[in-house]
Amino acid sequence: MPTSLDAAALEVEAQVFARYLVGRPAPPDLVERYRTAAQVVWGQADEPGDAALLEFVRRHPWSVGPLDAATALLAPGGPLRGRILLMAAILEATPAFADDFLPRAVSIPTLSLRIATAGIVAVCQALAGILLQPIARRRRS
Amino acid sequence: MTDVIVVGSGPGGVNAAAPLVAAGCRVLMLDYGNRDTRYADLVPRRPFAELRRTDPNQHRYFLGDAFEGVPVGPVRVGAQLTPPRMHILADAAARMPVDAPGFAVSMSLARGGLGAGWSAGVFPFSDDELRDTSLGLADLQRHYDAVAERIGVAGAHDDLEPFLPPSPSMMPPLEIDSNAEVVLERYRRRRAALNARGFFLGRPRVAACTRPCRGRGPYPYFDLDYWADVDRSIYRPQWTLEELERSPNFTYLDRRFVLRFAESADRISVHVVRADGGGEERHVGRAFVLAAGTLATARIVLRSLGCYDTPAPILCNAYTYVPTVNTGMLGRVPRDRRYSLGQLTAIVRLERPHEHLLQAQLFSYRSLLTFKLMKEVPLAARQSLRMLRVLLPCFAILGIHHEDRPAENKHCVLRRGEPDRLEITYRPSPDEERRQRRDERVLLRFFRRLGCLPLKAIRPGHGSSLHYAGTFPISPDDRPLTCDRDSRLRGTRAVYLADGSIFPWLPPKGLTFNIMANADRVGTLLAEKLR
Repeated sequence: MPTSLDAAALEVEAQVFARYLVGRPAPPDLVERYRTAAQVVWGQADEPGDAALLEFVRRHPWSVGPLDAATALLAPGGPLRGRILLMAAILEATPAFADDFLPRAVSIPTLSLRIATAGIVAVCQALAGILLQPIARRRRS
Repeated sequence: MTDVIVVGSGPGGVNAAAPLVAAGCRVLMLDYGNRDTRYADLVPRRPFAELRRTDPNQHRYFLGDAFEGVPVGPVRVGAQLTPPRMHILADAAARMPVDAPGFAVSMSLARGGLGAGWSAGVFPFSDDELRDTSLGLADLQRHYDAVAERIGVAGAHDDLEPFLPPSPSMMPPLEIDSNAEVVLERYRRRRAALNARGFFLGRPRVAACTRPCRGRGPYPYFDLDYWADVDRSIYRPQWTLEELERSPNFTYLDRRFVLRFAESADRISVHVVRADGGGEERHVGRAFVLAAGTLATARIVLRSLGCYDTPAPILCNAYTYVPTVNTGMLGRVPRDRRYSLGQLTAIVRLERPHEHLLQAQLFSYRSLLTFKLMKEVPLAARQSLRMLRVLLPCFAILGIHHEDRPAENKHCVLRRGEPDRLEITYRPSPDEERRQRRDERVLLRFFRRLGCLPLKAIRPGHGSSLHYAGTFPISPDDRPLTCDRDSRLRGTRAVYLADGSIFPWLPPKGLTFNIMANADRVGTLLAEKLR
């Protein structure tokens, strides 16, 4: 198993998080920036439980939404959440992705629908993530 | 020999030095003088929204070369500082250690001091407020005017004028953004009823040039005020320092860290350690103006007078943020042409338990990156991004300031050590905190009537307003560790304080402009004495 700060693992993470956040892959320079940033910000290998969680996300990219929702509630300061936000920061500070982050004015019905949908999805994801977390945090032998 | 030694290049230091230099005194300014040499030149002179879509190098100044602009962990004081502003707090905690459980400390060793990141709000104290400071508007008005002329102040003659005395040089106000326009329009429709209940709203006074002034401005509305000093239109003390450096009777020595002063019959010597190399120096002058910032000044004074283990009072306005949804902005497209700082100022006159004021500023969250807010939303990042993108145009954030008065559990003490440590105890009474919450509820009721629905009150903790003050207050009583009306430290012949140290209480207003005006008064009085 690669350590959490293994370069190849970080590159996979970058792509998983970019697809999760903006629905498309990150170009190589952003992947490299993510790798450098993760090493600067976190430096050392993660705790075993966090490392297992990140490895699970890398192997099962579909799980990032539910696990992110669960950690947003249960462990907002943990490395999974931190690294998703790091990727968000890197994407946001890149012209090609700026429009994915810039505010949008929408009509009141669209706003209401958007908030209601986001709220329902967030709750469902959080429930799924809470159930999934114990499995994801288990280390593979 | 130098006439006056000034310590610190912040709002107090440069505004004390300016009248002294103008009067022909020989002034030496000692300063640590950290500056940003990495990011300042990277930020293009283009609007924020445009450069986000176009500048491939934006990650350098938005996130920082060492990703110092990406906060990890809980929100802490200084988190609002962007990479181009982070030099403001650099080295200070290591050079001036403070033990302050439950009290956030921000000190600066930067050129311009904390003023290098000032939010530029101009809040002159009223006559009533100054009376509690043993001064009056008659003492300070001409200095308010002199400082306003020196720094450039933009503002309007509106409903806030009874609370914020105007200055003749005031420039036309900055254009407020779409969010604030909606709130102000609603206020205008309900003005009579709201005023009758003690609520007043108006445009903020801002230390900004809306027309060309002293080689600065006019303000370009690029919405970059958290990142860069475009056209120098927002005031920073460094601008005055540069003007002073052009005078032959002014000397600026940076990379100096002041340890203590000692007085003899006719002179004052100031002991300094060099920041580069650590060698010690001694500078001699006829008078000494301390404007190192309240906490740094407290260390120098207590050490110089040998007052270790002696408590001095400390004040800091309590501060609360309240994000609200401005319903009037729902479905509207906000303009990108804007400035980043406070858009409106609200003042509430409250009657109980005694007549007092509450002041709030309204901000929009448009000038920083969205990922910082995503961190605070307890939802999956993708969902919080989707929600924030549509809600951000409607976000109106209130920053509420409360007054502060000295009390038993608000003090600081210098403990001997290598280096000395300043211990701060700041525990407001439960009664005071209850009153603050009650006052906030009153204010939020008014904002609900203006269509701003509060989401959550965020109390970032004691000390977070950064308005540190009151350690050596001006007092009519001849007591040790106080100042006389001239801001001269009692027990000294010619040591003057020109920062927040001298204010015996804090009205619920920004302090910086008042520090500048008192510093100008100190400089003017001292110039007359030395003549």
